[in-house]
Amino acid sequence: MSRFLNFDTLSLHAGQVVDPEFGARAAPIYQTTSYVFPDTDTASSIFNLERGGHAYTRITNPTVGVLEQRIAALEGGSAAVCTSSGMAATFCAITAILGQGDHIVASAQMYGGNISLMQNTLPRFGITTSFFDPTDPDACRAAMQDNTKLIYGELIGNPGLDVLDLEAIAKIGADHHVPVMIDATFNTPYLCRCFDYGANMTVHSLTKWMGGHGVAIGGAVVDGGNFDWGASDRYPTITEPYAPFSGINLWEEFGPSAFATRIRAEAMRDIGPSMSPMNAFLLLQGIETLSLRMDKHMSNTMELLDYLSNHEQVSWVNHPSLPSHPSHQLARKYLPRGAGSIVSFGVKGGRAAGKAFIEACELASHLANVGDAKTLIIHPATTTHSRIDADALKAAGITEDMIRLSVGLEDVADIKADFDNGLRAAKRVAEG
Amino acid sequence: MLFEVSGKRVFATTGGQPFDPEKPVVVFLHGAGGDHTVWNLQSRFFAFRGYSVLALDLPGHTRSEGPPLGSIEAMADWLNDVVAALGVSAISVVAHSQGCLVGLEFASRHPDRLRSLSLIASGLATPVNETLLGAAQDDPEAAIAMMTSWGFGAAGHYTRGPVPGSAMIASGQRVMRGNAPEALHADLTACNNYANGPRAAPLVAAPVQVIVAGKDRMAPKKATDALIAHLPDPEVAVIADSGHMVPQEAPNRCRKLLRDFIFTHNPANQG
Repeated sequence: MSRFLNFDTLSLHAGQVVDPEFGARAAPIYQTTSYVFPDTDTASSIFNLERGGHAYTRITNPTVGVLEQRIAALEGGSAAVCTSSGMAATFCAITAILGQGDHIVASAQMYGGNISLMQNTLPRFGITTSFFDPTDPDACRAAMQDNTKLIYGELIGNPGLDVLDLEAIAKIGADHHVPVMIDATFNTPYLCRCFDYGANMTVHSLTKWMGGHGVAIGGAVVDGGNFDWGASDRYPTITEPYAPFSGINLWEEFGPSAFATRIRAEAMRDIGPSMSPMNAFLLLQGIETLSLRMDKHMSNTMELLDYLSNHEQVSWVNHPSLPSHPSHQLARKYLPRGAGSIVSFGVKGGRAAGKAFIEACELASHLANVGDAKTLIIHPATTTHSRIDADALKAAGITEDMIRLSVGLEDVADIKADFDNGLRAAKRVAEG
Repeated sequence: MLFEVSGKRVFATTGGQPFDPEKPVVVFLHGAGGDHTVWNLQSRFFAFRGYSVLALDLPGHTRSEGPPLGSIEAMADWLNDVVAALGVSAISVVAHSQGCLVGLEFASRHPDRLRSLSLIASGLATPVNETLLGAAQDDPEAAIAMMTSWGFGAAGHYTRGPVPGSAMIASGQRVMRGNAPEALHADLTACNNYANGPRAAPLVAAPVQVIVAGKDRMAPKKATDALIAHLPDPEVAVIADSGHMVPQEAPNRCRKLLRDFIFTHNPANQG
């Protein structure tokens, strides 16, 4: 009886009102800093959060707005705010609700930037973090403190690829009345909509699979709208009057989108990590083909898993789609369309052989990114995770021989041929 | 703002300004399964222009104590109790969908309390689809899906609302899930059983406006025509491209219509 637009349709259409003046089919790029108000009453209404509208592109922009609404629709969230990068999204999301003396319980297996933020930067602002083994929800429960205000994790851990048992983690959050924030960059809403399993907000690096083309940096925070901020007095930034907007009580006024509104009203205004309209346009072009690309990422990934698992020069292969992976059952539950296109594997011969493999590959690009349309490879211990300490490196499941592979959209036969060359070079080094 | 009516906790947002019963008062009434947040693009506007605002949660909805009320008549009398409890002499009522039936009944039962009546997306009666009514009792998630699927027009389904970043269907679903489990069924039953519209509507003595949604699938044209025909001299406006959820789908046009009407019939000192 009920009927809603499906994922592929939303990927193309959500958020865009067709330009009424010229009928442009694509979302126009509103490359402007500011907007002419029709009258003073409208201007004051926008500034006072009485109505939607645009005043200054640091806070809102029509092109960015299309992207925000498209992402909210794809995630099934109540609202989204786009930011200049994924890390900006994470910082804005955390500081919207946490402050001096507050505590985070976070997965130990995350992108190095996330770990560094929590290990090095947030403590300077009085926010501390306890890290837990993402394969053990009991460890998450044990890490909860009286001052814990947030549980944070990546659904697919980076780079160990352990899958978080999201429903179990969400139950811990619900039992403690603490929201669960998931970095959904690796899964995208096409592979898993985290709110369906109890997450309360997601953050994204849109730079990766959502954009897919590797030409624009961007981030997003999505409000699940499913956390009862008013059930306690522990989240005053949401439930207490906010002086800069005439003492507005965001929870009372905006209910399910109160968290997103706080980010808009505070972080975008006072800190200003805004997305450029041009980047929003580029990211919209990427999202239009999200499902097509993700399906191709997944089919290439499955072929390469088979190739690597049967190659004599590969000592181990790690991906949740493999039955041998400890998270295989969780991957089947939460990620039935595929467990992402990141693969990690070890090259026989250790560090030197791994180096030879990377340097011998021609098609696969050696760089510090994931989720590009092009196949990417990197050595995490010396790059993305080089600034975290040895214990955290071990906790994150990183070994010195590990190659992280981000499977691209090329013809998979060409990727295999490139890896054949790389692994031959590795073999020569390994055999001295 | 939390206060008590007949010993039970009642919540209303006041639009970010303290509630002052001496100012002209505008009361916003949500529809079935809704809550005060449906009005956030109208209520704050009036609160900052000389009015005292109450965007209420009906009993059993979001922050107001339950149980939900079982009839439109009971809701109308509860509204009168709210007004009395706050020491208000008369109010402007702005109502959406089910709230309109409450507004009609309130207008006929307590005419001295009413300064103006704004009815948005409503018929004279609201017969409820049997499948929806059954789902509201046995399968609330299915009922919520039906309500939001039918209730929102293109702006909702294509996530095209005028507030940057917002997704109104997901928000509406979250609100409905946050109500008391029995609230939606109670609301829909009350709507379905309400038969006094043809007698109540002609008794509306205060100025009345009707805002019609041109793409309304829950209060179709035939139903709104009947409402208009029974009201004494209503001001009628049509928002042609809006679905049923006018306050969210077409908030700017809705607010302008409300402003022009209420500023005229229940003026406030905006100085």
